[in-house]
Amino acid sequence: MTSFSQAAVVLAQQGGEDVVGTGEAIAFWVLGPLALAGGLGMIFVRNAVHSALWLVVSMLSFGVLYIVQSAPFLGFTQIIVYTGAVMMLFLFVLMMAGRDSADSMVEVLRGQRLLAALFGIGFATLLVGALARSLVNVQAQVPPDPYDPARGGGAGGLGRLVFTDFLFAFELTAALLIVAALAGIVLAYRDRREGPKRSQRDLVEARFRGEYKRRSPQPGPGVFATGNSVATPALLPDGSIAPESLSELIESTNTARLIAEQDRVLGSQAEHDDSRALLAGEDEQGSEQEGERK
Amino acid sequence: MPQQFLAQGEQLQVPAIDFAAVLPILIVFGAASIGVLLEAFLPKHQRWSSQIALSLTGIVGAGIALAAYISDAPEGGITTFMAQGATTGAIAVDTPALFLWGTLLALGLASLLMIGDRSLEPGGAFISQAGLQSGGLQTREQANVTGMQTEIFPLTLFALGGMMTFVAANDLLTMFIALEVLSLPLYLMAGLARRRRLLSQEAAVKYFLLGAFASAFFLYGVALLYGYAGSVKLAEIAAATAGSSASDTLLYAGIGLVVVGLLFKGSVGPFHTWTPDVYQGAPTPVTGFMAACTKVAAFGGMLRVLTVAFEPASWEWEVPLWLIAVISMAIGAIFGLTQRDLKRMIAYSSIAHAGFLVVGAMTLTEDGLSSTLFYLLAYGFTTIAVFGVISLVRDANGEATDLSSWAGLAKRSPLVAGVFTFLLLALAGIPLTSGFIGKFAVFSAALADGNAALVVIALVASAVAAFFYLRVVVLMYFSEPAAEGPAVTVPGAFTTAAITLGTAATLVLGIVPAFALNWASAGGFVP
Amino acid sequence: MPDDIAASGGLDAYLPLVMLLALSFGFAVFSVAIAPLVGPKRFNKAKSEPYECGIEPSPQPVAGGGRIPVKFYLTGMLFILFDIEMVFLYPYAVAADAVGMFGFIAVTIFIVAITIPYVYEWARGGLEWD
Repeated sequence: MTSFSQAAVVLAQQGGEDVVGTGEAIAFWVLGPLALAGGLGMIFVRNAVHSALWLVVSMLSFGVLYIVQSAPFLGFTQIIVYTGAVMMLFLFVLMMAGRDSADSMVEVLRGQRLLAALFGIGFATLLVGALARSLVNVQAQVPPDPYDPARGGGAGGLGRLVFTDFLFAFELTAALLIVAALAGIVLAYRDRREGPKRSQRDLVEARFRGEYKRRSPQPGPGVFATGNSVATPALLPDGSIAPESLSELIESTNTARLIAEQDRVLGSQAEHDDSRALLAGEDEQGSEQEGERK
Repeated sequence: MPQQFLAQGEQLQVPAIDFAAVLPILIVFGAASIGVLLEAFLPKHQRWSSQIALSLTGIVGAGIALAAYISDAPEGGITTFMAQGATTGAIAVDTPALFLWGTLLALGLASLLMIGDRSLEPGGAFISQAGLQSGGLQTREQANVTGMQTEIFPLTLFALGGMMTFVAANDLLTMFIALEVLSLPLYLMAGLARRRRLLSQEAAVKYFLLGAFASAFFLYGVALLYGYAGSVKLAEIAAATAGSSASDTLLYAGIGLVVVGLLFKGSVGPFHTWTPDVYQGAPTPVTGFMAACTKVAAFGGMLRVLTVAFEPASWEWEVPLWLIAVISMAIGAIFGLTQRDLKRMIAYSSIAHAGFLVVGAMTLTEDGLSSTLFYLLAYGFTTIAVFGVISLVRDANGEATDLSSWAGLAKRSPLVAGVFTFLLLALAGIPLTSGFIGKFAVFSAALADGNAALVVIALVASAVAAFFYLRVVVLMYFSEPAAEGPAVTVPGAFTTAAITLGTAATLVLGIVPAFALNWASAGGFVP
Repeated sequence: MPDDIAASGGLDAYLPLVMLLALSFGFAVFSVAIAPLVGPKRFNKAKSEPYECGIEPSPQPVAGGGRIPVKFYLTGMLFILFDIEMVFLYPYAVAADAVGMFGFIAVTIFIVAITIPYVYEWARGGLEWD
């Protein structure tokens, strides 16, 4: 039950079984590699979204590790804020840049990646080596009791610190959040030039003045008319199929196959009742639209 | 279990807060918050004027509150926001803090005047809508739309408030949050230039990414120091250094990482790579604000950390900082020689100056402290005025920062060339300017501390750097102006005031520096 | 009861949570595994769409490489804002009786300050969708 999991491991290896409980050791040896795998996965996966998801694995493992280390509030905050909110923002940014957009893998500066890797690994080795050595002789502290704020544990103890020692830092955080939100809005928000928003009434009038292609809404699919699938087309009063109710995506459905078969049997120039014919030629549809505008 | 949560009957005492002492910070943050609300509710055409009025009132008000507090400030300084039973508070209000607050407010005022200027460019130096994609037709349209993103004013005030907190923060946690509060607005402001949008956005992204890295370094260092000392308070870290059983590796790694974070903000030595690009790409008033105020804040914070927290371990960090100072001076002086762009040249000059400032910051004597404070004051005013003058020389594409377009400027506008020459001489450290006094004070303090080798190197670097300042002077006076060269715009009241303030301060601090030096040496950091 | 928790390092309290996690994980695995085994396999294009509810998923503009609009980001930003506010409110709530009136004032200042950018975004129309 030390504050540092690394120290816990070291102590456990030295036979300090009384310091680290079995459950904690198991939790560490499960979550530690998982967190590490998450970090490595984040770096080495090509797809940016997958990379973000690997990061989630890492962060969740940390969250649980914190809980195991008697810091339940920190653990849940990690999960709520980082894996929840911050990762969501990450994904928004990735989606904004385009899910499929990838960095070009061409090195602009020659040898940059090699040098970066060398320095990175060197720095990590230095830190890990030095810290691992220094943490061996760290005194294992009695962990704060998460159920007793007066003894410094949990959210209550944090609350006491926030409102005494770190009161100014706490209020300063509000300034930080104001700046963050303001900056986000300044960068992302565009003024709409068109003037005031059109109301429902304006839109209806615009429809009947002919600003839009059709006056009524698009027909929905014929769900519940003959079946319960979206693939079912809606029927016009004369029993023909309403073309606009057909999804572009449903060509493999029975209806679409049927129409295709009809076309094949009757020949492409055949005038059939089927309103799908309206879709056959772009010109035809275009002229119809023009007629509607007049 | 529930009864345990309710079992704590005792009340915590309210932390001791000296409102009069922190009133300047509170006023600046209050004005910034009101500024955001003004943005929300005022129609577009009223925003600029009311924001200007509000920001100027805020800064001047904070200055008055500061002056009122200084007039009967307790001897030796105090710390406030002190929890019951603690020995130090979160904010230290001592002579260096008050001096730096005064410096920051004065420099902030000058920067704000330049940021608010609309005479040089119709609508100001900032884009009217940052959300549009650069390079598009709309952006080109935007260059001609008068009106700017007036959020820049509250953002400036937030940055200023963050800087003021940063130099007074007495624990590393408060310091970190202040660091973020001062950095975030700057990242954004760097990307709001009206012209050369891509360059400006590149600057913002670079500054943001590298700055985030530096913040991470700082935070990691804070964590290690907490692991070492069991506290983030500067005084307790110093106490732990004197007698802690924890491994010193934590301390050294912590000091290293924290100092790297600070050096980045001060654009020192090998951590400078963002500086030229950001100085060049950011709108010139923002560059001035960044160059002057951020440097003051970064070195103010560094002075406090090195003196209050790390002094007992000084024999450990002296050699690395010595090297960093040399590297910074060398990079600034040598790369400055090769620059063709004036803003980039001043950026490298600022890197060289950062090296000189490190020389002062690592001299942990009374003279070292006061001379570094004076250097910051002097350098800040000169830099703001330099960027003010740079924003005057314009051609059809905006500012003409290429060195060749400054050829023969003295024939077109003797006054501007004269002022610029004076400022460059101040940067070079020629006598009768504040730059000379600053350098003299810092170098003699370092010499007295037994750092003769470093002083010699610094003198050589100054001489090399003087060469590229003089090159510009020669270019302005002894070259023929190009036929279609840039014109010198007659500035409006705001920019004129800012340049006058900076130039006058450079002159006054160069001739009668005693009052500022006396104030700077009136007292040290509160323990 | 509290003594038991203290003796076990406080982690026994999480046993139900772990069991719930195991249960939900098991259920997810079971559902995914059993569906192809027992379900009928009749595919069409519509069934492989994200929603099978009659609404065609509006395709992302091809010009931008299938990007989502930046508007989502503004909403996300506000979400983070209130998320962090909540993280601070929770410790306050637990320590409320100890920090008393003074804590209440401090947290009120914090909340009012946090509300400022929200008001700004609202007044500027950042919350209107189209």
